[in-house]
Amino acid sequence: MVPPRVARIVSLDPATTEILFALGAGDRLVGRDMYSHWPAAAERVASVGQGLRPNVEAVLAQHPDLVFLYPSQDNRGAAQRLRQAGIAVAALKIDRIELFDRVTRLLGRLVGDSARGAYVADTVRHTLDSVRAATRSQARVSVVMPVWDRPLIVIGGGSFMSQLVDIAGGRNIYDSLPESSPTVTLEDVVRRNPDAVLVGPERSMTLRANPSWRAVPAVRAGRVLVLDTNVVLRPAVRLGEGAVSLARLLHPLHPQGAH
Amino acid sequence: MSRSHWTMLCLALLAAIALALAIGTIGYTPADTWRALTGQADATTTLVIRELRLRRTILAALLGAGLGISGAALQGVLRNALAEPYLLGVSGGAAVGAVLAVVAGMSYAFVPIAAFAGAALAVALALFVAHAAHGRADPRVLIMAGVVVGAFANAAIMILLANASESRVRGAVWWMMGSVADARWSETAWLGLYVVVGGAVLVTTARSLDAIALGEDSAAGLGVDVDRVSRRIYLTASLVAAATVAAAGLVGFVGLVVPHIVRRIGASGHRTLLVASALMGALLTVLADIVARAAMPPTELPLGAITAVVGVPFFLATLRRLT
Amino acid sequence: MIAFADVRARYPRQQHLALGGVSLDAERGSVTAVVGPNGSGKSTLIRALIGRVPLAAGTISIDGADTRTWSREAIARRVAVVTQREETTFPMTVREYVALGRLPHRGTWGRDTMQDRAAVDAAIARTGMHALADRSVHQLSGGEWQRVRFARALAQGGDALVADEPTTFLDIAHEMAVFELMRSVAADGHAVLMVSHQLNLVARFADRLVLLHDGRVAAAGTVNDVMRPEILEQVYEWPVLVTRDAAIGALTLVPLRKPSTSSRS
Repeated sequence: MVPPRVARIVSLDPATTEILFALGAGDRLVGRDMYSHWPAAAERVASVGQGLRPNVEAVLAQHPDLVFLYPSQDNRGAAQRLRQAGIAVAALKIDRIELFDRVTRLLGRLVGDSARGAYVADTVRHTLDSVRAATRSQARVSVVMPVWDRPLIVIGGGSFMSQLVDIAGGRNIYDSLPESSPTVTLEDVVRRNPDAVLVGPERSMTLRANPSWRAVPAVRAGRVLVLDTNVVLRPAVRLGEGAVSLARLLHPLHPQGAH
Repeated sequence: MSRSHWTMLCLALLAAIALALAIGTIGYTPADTWRALTGQADATTTLVIRELRLRRTILAALLGAGLGISGAALQGVLRNALAEPYLLGVSGGAAVGAVLAVVAGMSYAFVPIAAFAGAALAVALALFVAHAAHGRADPRVLIMAGVVVGAFANAAIMILLANASESRVRGAVWWMMGSVADARWSETAWLGLYVVVGGAVLVTTARSLDAIALGEDSAAGLGVDVDRVSRRIYLTASLVAAATVAAAGLVGFVGLVVPHIVRRIGASGHRTLLVASALMGALLTVLADIVARAAMPPTELPLGAITAVVGVPFFLATLRRLT
Repeated sequence: MIAFADVRARYPRQQHLALGGVSLDAERGSVTAVVGPNGSGKSTLIRALIGRVPLAAGTISIDGADTRTWSREAIARRVAVVTQREETTFPMTVREYVALGRLPHRGTWGRDTMQDRAAVDAAIARTGMHALADRSVHQLSGGEWQRVRFARALAQGGDALVADEPTTFLDIAHEMAVFELMRSVAADGHAVLMVSHQLNLVARFADRLVLLHDGRVAAAGTVNDVMRPEILEQVYEWPVLVTRDAAIGALTLVPLRKPSTSSRS
């Protein structure tokens, strides 16, 4: 199915875009989805619009021989039509840390550089392992990670973020929920009583402005940790960096994980 | 409605509010709850009871009261038992405003304002169209205008959401199903003002509504200025509904079902009907909110989904009786 | 008491005048009947009185005072109207319905006074609805419903009763009861103004007739002045015969069959 040497790639998934650049295949990218902003070089690749339910015509206009997209129900029709047009389509799901590892090695083979694929995957794995080892002796910091206010959506056990927090010496109070972003009540957050609240810079403002959150003891105690969302955004090449910055955030007195 | 009916309705509302304060994810004893209300409990308990439970319960009660009374008034003035507060394009207009604000990434403080503005614009449009078509607000034209404005709003929402990110879509959908989870005092106070002032205005029209129930000509024969009273009710009821939507999103079926329940327990005159609908609306909405947060912990269900699940079967039963 | 003077009225967005200059008086103690073919403006006359159709010209006055200077409630306290059609959307009892007649006498927050209750009781008694007072209006027969509507108008009080085609769909007994009631209300000193299609009954009960045709008065006066075949034939566009009934001595209109259509039988 996959052409022997892929020359023209369209990536409809930001994580895949990141990995392709890390593999040195960025110059073969002829199209990307509108949310693929990283690395900076990705911005110079033509955007074909949304990654979910993509505009098939816009993708075809780039004359790709390989298209990557996220394997959601929404994307089935588009994948089928692209295949009918004789284009190789790979549906890659990268929403867990172990999937990143597998997909990176696979992409290495696909772009004809398995060694580089293995190198990128191993580097990330190595960093994650050293962060895990460094935080093992520390007391676990329980956190809640709200991502949306109305409704209150938090990071659940199904998300790679939950794994990353675990590696960085924390514990997501919602790691037992299988969804990646469940809706919960604020009162339940109070009941689970996290040590800290972990949020992006934008959400930290709304959270402090919302008096309801004062019911959470961690918020009253000022333990609102602001995450570098540029690094910890998706399970891709910067996972290692993300784990390091998270560990520093959770255990500020112990600068472990630094090289 | 006899005196004992009133007493029971008021007691039931108080009991529901007490229940709403006592029930939650965290199992506080009634004594803890009471101490929290009187400010003698520890900080967390006090904040949970006062800031989380009390606040949303008050908002739920005001929301239900507003929807109940405006539903009863609109059913009366349109002489249509199927009328409801969102009828004149309120829901569609408010939804467009709110979704626009959510998608544009505006601060939460602007969402209610945008929702209210959208609702007011939609009602103005529906009234303008109905008025233009018949020289005065003909109820049938008005209902159709409301429906069409609503359809237009739905289309606008679809366009707005076409390019929105997943969490924004989820936020918008959540808003369209209504919730009092994130009640703010400022919004609650505004809604209180609308419900009290709007409710009082609607109660002053009760006598005219009794006459309008007989038909517009008969009402005119009884000395009612039907056009003026109708306009006043359309505007007031829609503004109250818009205020509820701005504070808590779309909570369906309360305004439709509550007047029917109140009529069934024996309210005949509109003064009784309007006041009792406000109380009954508050009662049912407070109960629905308890279900919304206690049914599937730790997940919270949208309030509008609960009211629809309870309201639809009841309403279908009412429909059978009407036909 | 109620006087229409050269009243012209037109429905919104219509060129045609529904009333093209109508003058008539309904006096206390007498029954004034407005008759005429469909679309001649009879109902519009009543809708103009209660302010549902704006006047293009002319005046309607009550005891010499122009109604435009009156509030609607003030008019309703003087004139009770039984409209042509009426349906109750929501259930209520006969007594509650009749009590609606007291609306113009109460303020916004007013409660029932002794006077209100007395008026309601008297109206129910006068229309013979006592036994049905606590029944839902939705359970009444057509004839009972019409009596209840008159009870509501009587409870409204005032000194004029206006009824728009009050006997449509009624059987003979109920129809006669309505006409007798209006006669007795007039005998109490009220002005009674009614719109009717029942020329033969009107001829027996009314003191004055006003025949409308195309929004204008085609004839007005006593029964003898108006019940004339040449006038009626022209207005109704149908051959008629007017005779004096041998048994009751009243003028009676008999519509004739047209030769062309009767030739087949």
